[in-house]
Amino acid sequence: MLTASHIADLRASVGPDGLITGLSQLQTYECDGLTNFRVLPEAVVLPRTTREVQAVVRFCARNRIPFVSRGAGTGLSGGALPATGGIVISLARMNRILEVDLANHRVVVEPGVINAHVTERVAPHGYFYAPDPSSQSVCTIGGNVAENSGGAHCLKYGFTVTHVMALEVVLPSGELVQLGSPTLDAPGYDLPGVFVGSEGTLGVATRITLRIVKRPEVVQTLLAAFDSIQAAGQTVSDIIAARMLPAALEIMDALAIQAAEASVHAHYPVCNGLLLVELDGPRSEVEALMREVQALCRNNGAREIRVAQTEQERALFWKGRKAAFAAVGRISPNYIVQDGVIPRTALPCLLTEIDGMASAAGLRVANVFHAGDGNLHPLVLYDASIHGQEEAALDLSYRILRLCVDKGGSITGEHGVGKEKQEALGYMYSEPDLETMQLVRCAFDPENIANPDKIFPRPRLCAEKPGRYEPHPLETAGIAEIF
Amino acid sequence: MSTCARLTAEQGMAQLASIVGQEQTKLRGETIVAAPADAKQIAEVLRFAGANGLGVTPAGSGSKLGWGNPVAADIELNLQRLHALHEHAWQDMTCTVEAGCCWVSIQSELKRHGQMVALDPLWPDKATVGGIVACNDSGALRLKFGGLRDLIIGMTIVLADGTIAKTGGKVVKNVAGYDLHKLMTGSFGTLGVIAEVNFRLHPVEEHVRTWTVTAPGVKLADGAFFAAPLAALMDSQMTPSRVQIRASKAGCVLDLSIAAVPACLDEFEARIQDIFRPAEVSASEAGVWRARQRLFDKSEATVLKVSLPTSEICSVISELRQFAVREGLDVEAVAQATGLMTVAVQAAPDAVVRFVERLRARVAAFGGSAVALQVPDAVRATVDVWGPGSGALPLMRAIKRRFDPGRTLNPGRFLGNI
Repeated sequence: MLTASHIADLRASVGPDGLITGLSQLQTYECDGLTNFRVLPEAVVLPRTTREVQAVVRFCARNRIPFVSRGAGTGLSGGALPATGGIVISLARMNRILEVDLANHRVVVEPGVINAHVTERVAPHGYFYAPDPSSQSVCTIGGNVAENSGGAHCLKYGFTVTHVMALEVVLPSGELVQLGSPTLDAPGYDLPGVFVGSEGTLGVATRITLRIVKRPEVVQTLLAAFDSIQAAGQTVSDIIAARMLPAALEIMDALAIQAAEASVHAHYPVCNGLLLVELDGPRSEVEALMREVQALCRNNGAREIRVAQTEQERALFWKGRKAAFAAVGRISPNYIVQDGVIPRTALPCLLTEIDGMASAAGLRVANVFHAGDGNLHPLVLYDASIHGQEEAALDLSYRILRLCVDKGGSITGEHGVGKEKQEALGYMYSEPDLETMQLVRCAFDPENIANPDKIFPRPRLCAEKPGRYEPHPLETAGIAEIF
Repeated sequence: MSTCARLTAEQGMAQLASIVGQEQTKLRGETIVAAPADAKQIAEVLRFAGANGLGVTPAGSGSKLGWGNPVAADIELNLQRLHALHEHAWQDMTCTVEAGCCWVSIQSELKRHGQMVALDPLWPDKATVGGIVACNDSGALRLKFGGLRDLIIGMTIVLADGTIAKTGGKVVKNVAGYDLHKLMTGSFGTLGVIAEVNFRLHPVEEHVRTWTVTAPGVKLADGAFFAAPLAALMDSQMTPSRVQIRASKAGCVLDLSIAAVPACLDEFEARIQDIFRPAEVSASEAGVWRARQRLFDKSEATVLKVSLPTSEICSVISELRQFAVREGLDVEAVAQATGLMTVAVQAAPDAVVRFVERLRARVAAFGGSAVALQVPDAVRATVDVWGPGSGALPLMRAIKRRFDPGRTLNPGRFLGNI
């Protein structure tokens, strides 16, 4: 519980209009995009400057109060779920684009800047910011950094970490450090490399130097309808085998297509496997390769092939895909979004197994798939009003993740581990692997106050003597316990 | 056994031989060279070293062992027996290779399926995966494909206490847990021993054309001549695979290569001629991309890795040339369009120090750096290899303390004597 003196300290740190303590307002912050976990924070602060962030984090360090930083709250793994008894640092008001350096393809932003606004700012000069999570019109760069967000185009352009050159970070002690540099290979450890994707457990990024990319001369998008998802998957393998690196390769199954149609009327052909291929680059090259892609689609029995003729048509192709998660709400009262990754070649086998598991559980699973990089988003549909179905759906979604690991993949390709997949992380990595990751966490945050109780299946105290796990003196004394 | 009072060299040899085998243990000067066969043996050697307070230097072919601060290690952990290509999942475009694999041999294996690790490091015919990754080496291909941090998707590492840990995985897209492989890349073997690396692969570039651009008439231009066309090239919608400027006291030339479907290459050539007009654009001679490596050939030269913004490359080259002429230094440089420049300077030790200081001051203004990689013995005592540490140095030290509290691994080699 925060005391009156704590509240006064926080108010002094961020000003009266930067502090939220009223119950109804706090409820806005009790969850992120993963709404089945909720914790009411003790307070929410909305700093406007790095100095204010520092003041708040110093307050937390001094009082051993946990904090969770938050962007737009669109995360899907509970990464921004408040810590019990903790405060939320919302970076929403730190939303300035500070510097645009076109000659060096760089932009410096504050963490609350919305992803799509970076591209909007540099688009008139022919550039764009490549990571494009489906929530890009609302999600923030700070959140993208925490989750190492991807998107449909990361097959060619890489993830958030590919595009972060340097960070200004408030460490959990309140100290301010620069990680990396605006030029390549700053001497020392690659700290931006490990900070990006650390889900808010290593500190608060307050200033981020991003790399932007020259917009390609042309972009062409194709839709192909197949009788089976396997045929669509084979076409993807053939495209890769033909040494192409498309900007995006997406597959949707019949249920996902049905949902997208019901929601945004993308006019997708009715089929069992819909493939979306996007190529970009110099016009002559894209045109030559698109002819090749069409031939590969036909070889695999595509019933219908459409190449977007206008920007409007292309946008409609994407609208259905990007709306797929929310669209599932049209065909099912409730659903769980999962985020497994498998080696691409394991797709046909995995989908057959998922079908079998879903049937056995009496549930439906819709599949949306970043096919080029093996990132599968199974959407497990259920009705929470039916007794036991939510538990069954959760169980199925976790079993799908374990199946992804069994196939040599990962439990998350872009949504993060957060609160949702902590146990699954323990399935993917062995205890020594996790202990080694904890060494990094303990170096950054020895008091474990930055987004504690996330990512790792088991919390850990950073014992005085570093190295492999040994009981903390507090544990030995019976003052604290590991559970 | 330079630092250990508790063990004689003979006792150390005997202990290590019991781990890696008699024939895999030898004494070289005061250093015991032990060649483990796998990660488990690496772990045993490290546990033995830690228990006896011995320093360990991991080594592959030794091509970059001179980089960083010198380390007088008690044990050289020779990783060349770990030379298997464990898996090439060509349909998934990934591979898993052991740290002691020679770069050129992996690439020739991968090429059988038309694939490659898209990196052009130094000395590919002898350098090993572990050394390349530990030193974060990269060449001109980085412009198109990114550096090692973008190409490595997982790793098996052995910590100083013998913990064998895996990080990342075998899929390209993966955000589960911390990316420890990024921390290991470029850590100069100070945090753990890299035993195995998983790479994402790219198709081998099939149709590549390489051009060299020279100033009209004079052939060798000043760096400034290339400033505007280089900016135009970088702002164009072409995606060259490699771009470099080779500079010496005599002047500069620019090389670039583009890969594309054959039908497009003529069009690109015309665009490039437009961009560089009135300069002459002609097909390059063979071996232009080995120019960076050639800078290391002169054993008396101090060779630096300089990092600067792309927009500053040409002006910095100009200034370096003027400085070299004025001071009578022998300076050559190869600057890649990524902003990484390799500079070789040959002069009296005090002149080298002045040169390095001047260069550091120049690039520091825009957040850049200059690290001395190859340092001749005559210069080593006077030149600061790493340059000024960053504000993140205390954090880096904290990480080192967590990973290697006994300072077993490459003690002192890294930035800030980590």
